[in-house]
Amino acid sequence: MTSTLTDRYLSATLRSVPVARRDEIATELRALIADMVEGRTSTGEDTATAEREVLTELGDPAQLAARYADRRLQLIGPTYYLAWQRLLILLLSFIPAIAGVTVGLVEATVSDNPAGAIGAGVSVAFNVAVQVTFWVTAVFAVLERLGTPLNLPAWNVDQLPDRPVERDVTLTDVCASIVFLVLLIAFLPWQHFQSVMGAGDRLPILDPALWSFWLPALLIVLVASIGLELAKYRAGRWTWPLVAVNAVLNLAFAAPAIWLLITDRLLNPEFVDQFAWLRDGGFDTVARISVVSIIVITLWDVVDSAVKARRSAR
Amino acid sequence: MVASLVALRQPDYGYALLQRLAGHGFPVDANTLYPLLRRLEDQGLLTSEWNTEESRPRKFYRTSDAGEQVLRLLLDDFAAVQASLATLIEGDPR
Repeated sequence: MTSTLTDRYLSATLRSVPVARRDEIATELRALIADMVEGRTSTGEDTATAEREVLTELGDPAQLAARYADRRLQLIGPTYYLAWQRLLILLLSFIPAIAGVTVGLVEATVSDNPAGAIGAGVSVAFNVAVQVTFWVTAVFAVLERLGTPLNLPAWNVDQLPDRPVERDVTLTDVCASIVFLVLLIAFLPWQHFQSVMGAGDRLPILDPALWSFWLPALLIVLVASIGLELAKYRAGRWTWPLVAVNAVLNLAFAAPAIWLLITDRLLNPEFVDQFAWLRDGGFDTVARISVVSIIVITLWDVVDSAVKARRSAR
Repeated sequence: MVASLVALRQPDYGYALLQRLAGHGFPVDANTLYPLLRRLEDQGLLTSEWNTEESRPRKFYRTSDAGEQVLRLLLDDFAAVQASLATLIEGDPR
């Protein structure tokens, strides 16, 4: 009983079965299909329908072949999953960032286009992350298929993390703060070269004279704030030394900013001239709102850190 | 798998085994049973020979000596599990 449907099913199944056993499996399956069809026709079904139903019951040829070949129908199984996940998280936690920052810095020094450099850095970081993920996964998928033992040391209790994982400072908060700080740091050089506001020419928003001292000083304070965020995450909670450093850094940022605002030295005079409403007293309003905002935010941040330190010290 | 090893103490071919198992309340799909028989044969738990006397060639499987030993271990395990369950259900006082 040879028919095209059965033949097609067999060839589809045998395609991915080891060559050595192909003939044997073919003969066996052919007999099975014939038996199953016979079982159905004996209850009055016609042969064509019975054949269709039998083949449907046997299911996807690829799956049947995989069962014969004892092939795994999964990319990465439970043996390798945790190792894959840990390695991937470890690599993704620093490689894309390093690549992105390096390319960004090189781009920023080679071409005088800071905004473009940030874009290039982000795009390189993203590409590197995709590449790392792909290759790590590909290697583990191969290991899974070869069944290579990883020979990792067995887990033991000494690997337990020191502290209970509940922490006051979450990774999300720290990341959000760092992203904000980085954007702020990026803003300072960007505003100097920007041509978005102004008639197509480069028009620094802040007074270029400030680059001689105040802007670099503020940059240092901002970079130090990133360090503080990292230290805070390492500690897992606010401690009194961290609160003190935080207060100092906040003050080091707020005091010069407020002083520059009040003494009218923050904005570039040319920039102010471009906008009529800034010239005609608008700047005073902006300055007043900014000073109040800075004071409120600074106070709130310092008080908040102190309250949290007090709570976790208990 | 245990059911197949028990049933194949008496030699049989795939399709007949399938029906026998189904008759005893073990509904198995052909696409699971056939590869399983292969694997058991590879592991030496089953022996097989082709029978070409009938209308179509059939591969007859039989539980081997090694298969018999493994089967005995498995049946003991089952008995142990069953005994444990029984005591658990009865609320064995400890």
